[in-house]
Amino acid sequence: LSSVPLQILFYVNGIYYIFYFLATLAMIVYKSQVFSYPDDFLSPDLTLLFIMAVLEVLRLYLGSKGNLTEEEAPLGLSLVITVGSVILSVYFLVWQTYVLKADVIINAVLLFTYGLESVLKVVAIAAFVS
Amino acid sequence: PPETRAAAQARPRSGPAPVTDVAKLCVCDLLVAECDVNCCCDPDCSAADFSLFTTCSVPIVTGDSHLCSQKAAIYSLDVEANPPGRVFKLIDQVNPSVFCIHATNYKQALSFSSPEMPTSENFDQLLKQFGSASFSAEPDSWNMNTGAQNPSDVNETYRYEYGVPIQTVDAFLRLPSPVVSSWCSDANPAGFLVNQATKCIRSVSVEKCGNIRAVSMLFYINSSILAVNITVQSIVVQSLNGMRTLLNGSDVLRLPIILDELCINIVLGVTYHITYTDAGEIIEAAASFVLGAINKEALSIQQSFEISFTQVNTKPVPLSGNPGYVVGLPIRAGFRPQGYPFPVEILSAALVLNTNKYSQLTILQSTSNQDCLAAQGARTPILFGYNMISGCKLRISAAMKCQPLTQTLLDLLKGQSFPEYVASFGNSQAQDVLDWVPITHLHTSEQRICNTFQSSCQIPVSLEIEVKWTKYGSLVNPQARIVNVTATITTTTLKQLPSGRERTIPITSSVVFTDISSPAEPGYKAWPTINAKLPFDFFFPFV
Repeated sequence: LSSVPLQILFYVNGIYYIFYFLATLAMIVYKSQVFSYPDDFLSPDLTLLFIMAVLEVLRLYLGSKGNLTEEEAPLGLSLVITVGSVILSVYFLVWQTYVLKADVIINAVLLFTYGLESVLKVVAIAAFVS
Repeated sequence: PPETRAAAQARPRSGPAPVTDVAKLCVCDLLVAECDVNCCCDPDCSAADFSLFTTCSVPIVTGDSHLCSQKAAIYSLDVEANPPGRVFKLIDQVNPSVFCIHATNYKQALSFSSPEMPTSENFDQLLKQFGSASFSAEPDSWNMNTGAQNPSDVNETYRYEYGVPIQTVDAFLRLPSPVVSSWCSDANPAGFLVNQATKCIRSVSVEKCGNIRAVSMLFYINSSILAVNITVQSIVVQSLNGMRTLLNGSDVLRLPIILDELCINIVLGVTYHITYTDAGEIIEAAASFVLGAINKEALSIQQSFEISFTQVNTKPVPLSGNPGYVVGLPIRAGFRPQGYPFPVEILSAALVLNTNKYSQLTILQSTSNQDCLAAQGARTPILFGYNMISGCKLRISAAMKCQPLTQTLLDLLKGQSFPEYVASFGNSQAQDVLDWVPITHLHTSEQRICNTFQSSCQIPVSLEIEVKWTKYGSLVNPQARIVNVTATITTTTLKQLPSGRERTIPITSSVVFTDISSPAEPGYKAWPTINAKLPFDFFFPFV
């Protein structure tokens, strides 16, 4: 009864998120060197990036556990955390200090992945509940 | 008219807004209302002017190239057409790089911020921010805590550091000194803890007696060192022939006045004594004056100034080096008070020091008349590193008795108070008994043959002080340390003279400094050992 596409998506999401985190961090470093990036604007961006990493780890772990043990509680919690991750991703897409084209691309991919995951999670929860 | 003045004050604080429209931006448009040559973007140029251009000096005007898409104005000359004309195109330039700025939420990022125009309200704040040799690149408006300076520094009394000029109410405490030439310059500030003594010449005349500020007492005690007033400690009056008398009451301020064709109460010397605490605050200031008089013929006087610093609640003992002795400074010596047990660990001074540096360890000073008995006890201090020898001639007649003569000669050679201990370092404190070297006394006799009857008179004829010192401390900066002091008194027999005859024997005293430092040996670190061991079960199956 566990959803195989959802599990595959979790796995791919994990790998992609590692790449996303490193790329965003590298781009923030690049921006701070090339553009004028005072500390008042740099610290919120970095803080939110690290919070996003923590949330992502939690989200993927809970979702994977819920999917494999066929329990809806961790899966539901993971869905709630996904909402937070989506908001953070939208921040990096729109409200960051400098939004580069590369930022737009990787955040768009991440949002697409989140959307797909959310749909599959809802389907899986419905399957477990019934 | 007041309306325009009010309007001028109400003008906006910043300068004109920056031009960001690329179509209107033209950097080669330098001449106003005239056409610049080869400037294709100049609005003052007509089509006829464009036909005369050869090239466009500014071919393209774009915005920030980091942006993903930006407007660009392209100017070029169309040489094919007849007559040649200018072509102006406004296009969107796309930055193909994936790291182009898509959007930014930070307004100041893409253009230079226009600086504030100084007005009477913000002038002080702008001067404080930008008035020094360097300032931060980010203006204060970006910094959250601008008003976070601690105001407690303002009310604290000033703490002085070595060399910092002593501040008075209006300027600095002045110690006039000769600059370039010997004439006095009043602009020399006195530095904290810098003991100075200067002499300089000032031009005076009897006619301008009361007008010259720098020869009146008021000039030197008028300024108060912040919270401390300068008090008058003593006044010495020097007469025209050089005789000085100390005045009894020193509270009266004596200003220069003309008396009997002389100008009296002229300041010839000032000595400042400043008392400070160990926290670096000045708590007392006193000045001692030497006042003199000048007559009509005097055109200039020599003034001498001195300043000395004393720490409160201490008795100053001048150091002879820190820590090692400095060549040329007197050797410090002291006594052990009577009835003092030894060794001791106490907190108060175990040794009584002679604070007068010229009466510590002294040697007989040769005088112009070389008669020992008329020497009047002139002594000179022993300076470290300077070997000295001095002496006098003793005329012995038959009438002289042995014992008083011996005593007189001993007093002559050793002085009134010959110390018992000598400081091994230039800065040895009286409390550290172990830092002091006892003076060893030796007696030798000139006669090699030991006289069986000792009843003959032995008089001391020479005192030789040998100071053995060594180099102590690091190789690069060795400090001199006195290790041993030996005072050797050589005696000789005084043969009875037939009456009426006189004999002259020389009496000498000398000081010799011997360097007994062993040559320095460099020390090397031990060679590193290679610690290669196999693990203990390396040959497992076999061992």
